Amino acid sequence: MSLLRNLLRRRRFERDLDDEMRATLDLLVHEKTGAGMTHDEARRAAALEMGGVEVVKDRVRDARAGAQFDVLRQDLRYAVRLLARNPVFALTATLSLAFGIGAATTIFTIANGLLLRAPAGVSEPDRLVEIFHVEIGNRLTQPVVPYADYLELRRRSTMFEGVYAYQIDLTPVSLRADSDGAERIFSNVVTTNYFSVLGVTAGAGRVFGDADSDGSGAGPVVVLSHRFWSRRFNADPTIVGRTVRLNGQPFTVIGIAREGFLGTGVVAPDVWAPVGMAATLKAGSSPDFLLVMMGARLKPGVTASQAAAETDAIGLALGRERPRAMDFGGVPVEGAASTFGVTGASPIPGNIRPLIGAFLALLMGLVGMVLVIACANVAGVLLARAAARRREIAVRLAIGAGRARLIRQLITESMVLFALGAAAGLLLARGMTSLVLKLLPAFPLPLAVSLPLDGRVAAFATGLSLVAAVLSGLAPALHASKADVTSALKADQGPADRLRLRSVFVVAQIALSILLVVAAGLLSRAQGRVTSTSHGFDSRGVEVASLDLSMAGYTSATGPDFARELVRRVRQIPGVQAASLADRLLDDRIVFNGGLIVPGVQPPRGRSFFAATWNVVEPGYFATLRIPFVMGRDFSADDRAGSQGVVILAESTARRFWPGQNPLGKHVAWQTALIATDKSKAQPAPPLLVVGVVRDVLVNGGSRVEAPAVAYVPLPQRYTPEVTIFARTAGGQRIARELRAVVAAMNSNLPIVTSQTLENAQAGPVQIQLRVAASVSGAVGTFGLFLAAIGVYGVTAYAVARRTREIGVRIALGASRGDIVVMVLQHGMALVAVGSITGLLLAAVASRLLGSLLFGVPRLDPLTFGTSAALFAVVGLIACYVPTRRAARINPVEALRYE
Amino acid sequence: MRASTPHRRASLLQGTLDLLILKALAATELHGLGVSRRIEQMTGGTFVVQPGSLFPALHRLEEAGWLRAAWRASENNRRAKYYELTKAGRRQLADETREWNHIAVAIARALEA
Repeated sequence: MSLLRNLLRRRRFERDLDDEMRATLDLLVHEKTGAGMTHDEARRAAALEMGGVEVVKDRVRDARAGAQFDVLRQDLRYAVRLLARNPVFALTATLSLAFGIGAATTIFTIANGLLLRAPAGVSEPDRLVEIFHVEIGNRLTQPVVPYADYLELRRRSTMFEGVYAYQIDLTPVSLRADSDGAERIFSNVVTTNYFSVLGVTAGAGRVFGDADSDGSGAGPVVVLSHRFWSRRFNADPTIVGRTVRLNGQPFTVIGIAREGFLGTGVVAPDVWAPVGMAATLKAGSSPDFLLVMMGARLKPGVTASQAAAETDAIGLALGRERPRAMDFGGVPVEGAASTFGVTGASPIPGNIRPLIGAFLALLMGLVGMVLVIACANVAGVLLARAAARRREIAVRLAIGAGRARLIRQLITESMVLFALGAAAGLLLARGMTSLVLKLLPAFPLPLAVSLPLDGRVAAFATGLSLVAAVLSGLAPALHASKADVTSALKADQGPADRLRLRSVFVVAQIALSILLVVAAGLLSRAQGRVTSTSHGFDSRGVEVASLDLSMAGYTSATGPDFARELVRRVRQIPGVQAASLADRLLDDRIVFNGGLIVPGVQPPRGRSFFAATWNVVEPGYFATLRIPFVMGRDFSADDRAGSQGVVILAESTARRFWPGQNPLGKHVAWQTALIATDKSKAQPAPPLLVVGVVRDVLVNGGSRVEAPAVAYVPLPQRYTPEVTIFARTAGGQRIARELRAVVAAMNSNLPIVTSQTLENAQAGPVQIQLRVAASVSGAVGTFGLFLAAIGVYGVTAYAVARRTREIGVRIALGASRGDIVVMVLQHGMALVAVGSITGLLLAAVASRLLGSLLFGVPRLDPLTFGTSAALFAVVGLIACYVPTRRAARINPVEALRYE
Repeated sequence: MRASTPHRRASLLQGTLDLLILKALAATELHGLGVSRRIEQMTGGTFVVQPGSLFPALHRLEEAGWLRAAWRASENNRRAKYYELTKAGRRQLADETREWNHIAVAIARALEA
């Protein structure tokens, strides 16, 4: 700080010094002419006596700098000596500051990595932007656009050097190289200008360029990621030019992307393929149906907002030209107008950033609170000590020490603390950053997020600690330096005042800590409610593994038999209690993947069918997930392709169509053509016989928009190549390796796409956010509790020390030890009580903010509030124990001699 | 003042110079040249302080909080930078005077012995 002031003062000082020299020379000349010299003689003599103005000025500057450095060194030495004299205080203060600063820095690091930094490994990141789709009036639209829209935007825009597109979701494919078995890897289809626009060069061979085409089926070529190349091929440069098989099709490896480039999303692909090869990598996809994420490089001198104005116009124009969309029943949709937005490039798509940003802000608020608690703690102790040093300070003021100088010294002391705290905090942030990533459920995908402690993060941590240091050091410093000279010298007055101020700090600490602990309790209760029960199925102890049978060339003729054999073998794995297979995981998205027609029941709003979620399952599915049957039977081996079509309905669906009637034996049909452009062409769907009714399954936290009809059909009658194995194991043991072995034994060309536990697979963004928020506020609250306990101990111990004489008198006058214990405890626990009640009231208000995150946990959950209050009472008692014992053991004779 | 090492000589001189400057300013405020002349006069011409030593010392003492400086008009109506003692400077002068007397008495006694 004094360095900055020095810089500001430097120019004035130089001018002043210059003036002083000139004035002195002037005076000398005057003196000498007065003594009878001629003007010229006098000037010469004066110059001689000065001995070189520049030399003098240099020496003055040296003297100044030396003196200032001396002052700083003196302050620092004084501060360090004071801290060393009180190591417990120094240690707890440093620790608590380190924790607060570290936690805040961690959150900032994550925000920085996800929201503020361009993807790693690109050139000139400042000119990179992403272009995303926005639906006007809807903040959470998907950022992706149809490939055709991308082509139009690329053709019409003039502000960009280049516009590229890539698929935001990676496509799992099976890879075979040489004679090794198949391996599941992640591919990303990109336009062939992807690398050149990003400015990513090849580490070996070449990346896509003008020679490659975006045309459908254009070129079976791939670029490998450096990470994948190193892992899978041991960084063998001869791989360039060789052929590998992706989903059985030959692809030529043309090169390796340079090291450090991990793609443009949060997930790192292993290989990149041209967009024209999308159909080869994923059955049924082609550029015509592809949804892509767009990015671009601005022309030099073009700003993002200029570009946004242009893309906005293009987007609106495209919307006007496009034919109107139809809904499921062929009714035109009153779609919201949509356009394109432009924002700086980062791994998180622009329109999701506010959501992630808001969540990170919530976390920042939580950890900011611990920093406030830590600052209150430090300020409290500094204040107490400053008060204790009033006499000393008053003496120094009396003998003429400058007030600014004193304040500077007191602030130096807190600066030293905060410098230690910031250094430890940065170290802590390193560890905590990886810890937070570990709190997330195990991702089945390779993450591309890099969370470096860059200059921005270091600046944040330094700025934060500086502000905190000045804030918590200034109040005590001002308080102390205001010391009224005469009264402070007369008597050490004001200990009661000092105690009161410190008590306020302790009460505030307790209140904030209990608020955090309550929030943690509520959030983890909500998390438990979301993940565990009452969804209608039992997700615990179920291993799931996803496969894409088309990767190994199975068709609707061969796939069902393979699937049935696979399930049979999985059931034989030791420890597996039940196993089955379905077309997908139960996830929290409401899926409309077909219409449902019920003879004699009219669908609403003029539609020709009911919106429905169709699930394709194998026999044993309901038993494996413990979904009970209400009536009827499960599918069996006899429900084959070509035999009578059968269906199992969810209880609510059956009741909706046939209230009060027996649904068994009724018929429904699956309408697949959702957008009936030409009704005459629609095939009559074959009727399916209802053979069973099962309980409803509620997958997400219970916020259902409009309940779709739910139906289940057997795999042989409705084949799909993408299947997921469900295997319930005894005691929840993991069987990922065994599953892999079973699949490999049956077909070595068939890789498992993902393998995880069902609970993990179901941890959607809501659960992840709850888990992280609960962990953070729990950790922060516990630490706050620890700090508050130290505060209670400090205040109580200080009060006992101050009242030693009084206690001695009371004992001498016949007070029992019990009376003394009660008296001291009353004092300490009063602080705890006031703090706790304040905190609980705050929590009652704050829980309103958590509102919708609580998933039915009552806002004033008595369990959480009660437990928190009890916890703080117990900790308060422990903190009071030592001072109370000391008070009870006061010897009246010694106490009366005390002081 | 024939001390054994240059270092000790320098520090001795510096301490003496500081004391002399403080003493020179005890009665009235002076500009730089005035301090120099006053010291010359007080010591009967034994100490002639060159500007190269004087100004760094003045600035050092100002930085230490013992002197305060301000621009004023000089006796013959020229602008000059005047130095005066602060409270702390007076205190320092008293301390250093006491210390110097201790040393002087002790050395005198030692030399008489």
